Amino acid sequence: MWELIQSNRRKSLILFFGMGALLILIGYVFGSYYDPEAGGVVGVFFAIVLWVILSALSYFAGSKILLAVSGAKEVTKDVHPQLYNVVEEMKIAAGVPFFPKIYIIDDPAPNAFATGVKPENSAIAVTSGLLSTLNRYELQGVVAHEMSHIVNRDILLMTFAGVMLGVITIMSDIFFRGMYFGGGSRYRSRSSSKSSGQAQVIVMILAIILAILGPVLAQLFYFAISRKREYLADASAARLTRYPEGLANALEKIANSTHKLRSANKVTAPMYIVNPLKREGMKLADLTSTHPPISERIKILRALQQGVSYNDYQRVFEMIHGKKEKIIPDSVLKESIAVTPVIGLTNEDKDFNPIEARREANDAVMKLNDYNFINCKCGVKIKIPPDYNKPIVVCPRCGTRHQLR
Amino acid sequence: MNCPICKEPMIILELNRVEIDYCPVCSGIWLDEGELELLYSIDNTESELKKLFRESSDSKEKSFKCPVCRKKMIKIRFNNTELIIDKCPVNHGLWFNKGELEKVLSAKTNQSSQKVLSLLKEMFSYNKSQEAE
Ligand SMILES: [Zn+2]
Ligand SMILES: [Zn+2]
Ligand SMILES: [Zn+2]
Repeated sequence: MWELIQSNRRKSLILFFGMGALLILIGYVFGSYYDPEAGGVVGVFFAIVLWVILSALSYFAGSKILLAVSGAKEVTKDVHPQLYNVVEEMKIAAGVPFFPKIYIIDDPAPNAFATGVKPENSAIAVTSGLLSTLNRYELQGVVAHEMSHIVNRDILLMTFAGVMLGVITIMSDIFFRGMYFGGGSRYRSRSSSKSSGQAQVIVMILAIILAILGPVLAQLFYFAISRKREYLADASAARLTRYPEGLANALEKIANSTHKLRSANKVTAPMYIVNPLKREGMKLADLTSTHPPISERIKILRALQQGVSYNDYQRVFEMIHGKKEKIIPDSVLKESIAVTPVIGLTNEDKDFNPIEARREANDAVMKLNDYNFINCKCGVKIKIPPDYNKPIVVCPRCGTRHQLR
Repeated sequence: MNCPICKEPMIILELNRVEIDYCPVCSGIWLDEGELELLYSIDNTESELKKLFRESSDSKEKSFKCPVCRKKMIKIRFNNTELIIDKCPVNHGLWFNKGELEKVLSAKTNQSSQKVLSLLKEMFSYNKSQEAE
């Protein structure tokens, strides 16, 4: 397992430092634009300080912030028993000694993410939309994918890289806003010599280019870092559930959803199992995407007919990609044992009822928001909002007077 | 969610997979857009209910605000009867004053609405018996 973490990390670290160099360059050029003499150093200093502060913040409180920004609320077993059971199953299958905290986000758009720089205090968050659209097998696939991110220690690196991507995006935003409000020009008018004026023009052009391309480049770096980790988590999920069709169907449902995740932003988007910021009708979206194309992830999962071991995933990946590329580390492939997929499961969960799944997800959200649930003996379920201020509620069916706390 | 008329918090009632918002003060019922769809998808029958509503501009009834978006609800007339119902302009749902939903459902005879009607009768059987006294 450690090998799996290590070898994946080496290449990722190189990319990570490349991204850092880009951040420094952007800081220098933007700074020089504002003040040709001392600005470059100040810009670099500003960029690094911003990154260090945000990284430290995300290291020590990242999970909490991410969960808070997403509007996620921690749940107990009774809020959504099925979700709890699936997490428990996948925890046992993955052989992890800790129990991740479980969170639900009240949002109709189906999606999920894992967080926690240390596995001991990791958390898995899913949206209510995910719970109401996925059947049990699909939910298992998604939870197994997130569990794999935790087990493979992907979250630490992805968090730091994600913050860097965020800082570069923020700096480019600040630069454009500053230019719009006429910043920078007051320094330019001060310089009298012609040559420094020319240098200013070059710096300005360079700054504008970097402001446009910086975030795109950063996203490419981030993509290169996260790409293998997404595939690896898919491979692990197929192995854990032994039913790759479950995750494949889940990814398909998430990708086809017309809902937009309300809480998603540029910084948090890469953390999700499927990028929640879909840009409609833009080919550029593929270039700047933080995730491997979903269609390809689905195709690989669906092609895992004979086996679901890491070896099988590597083989199928190369078959579909049409070229050799190590997606699973050698050390893991060496120890890969044959795992046969579960057969006989139909694509549809026989017991799955979309109305019931939606009701359960809605109930979970209501429980999170402190609704009081009363099961009247006559069969009526009464759900009382926290702002209901009368001491009793009368069941309209049987007339039972329920005393409230 | 608060009752558009009394402004008091409404409670949610669920029976046989059907869920409605109910005001314990005025006995009004709020049907969520999604809920209405669910009610009619029980039998997979296409909802013809909506076709029966015509916007009514001449209504003198006081208008209320949608409990979801606070926009002023529009008055709709049911199947050329005297029955006027409030509807959110951006389709968050329908508001039925006490007894109105029953009237709407009893006017239709397709199986699906019969089911819903008997369900509602079930759900409010105690209230009904109280009124009879
Ligand atoms: Zn009762
Ligand atoms: Zn009321
Ligand atoms: Zn509304």
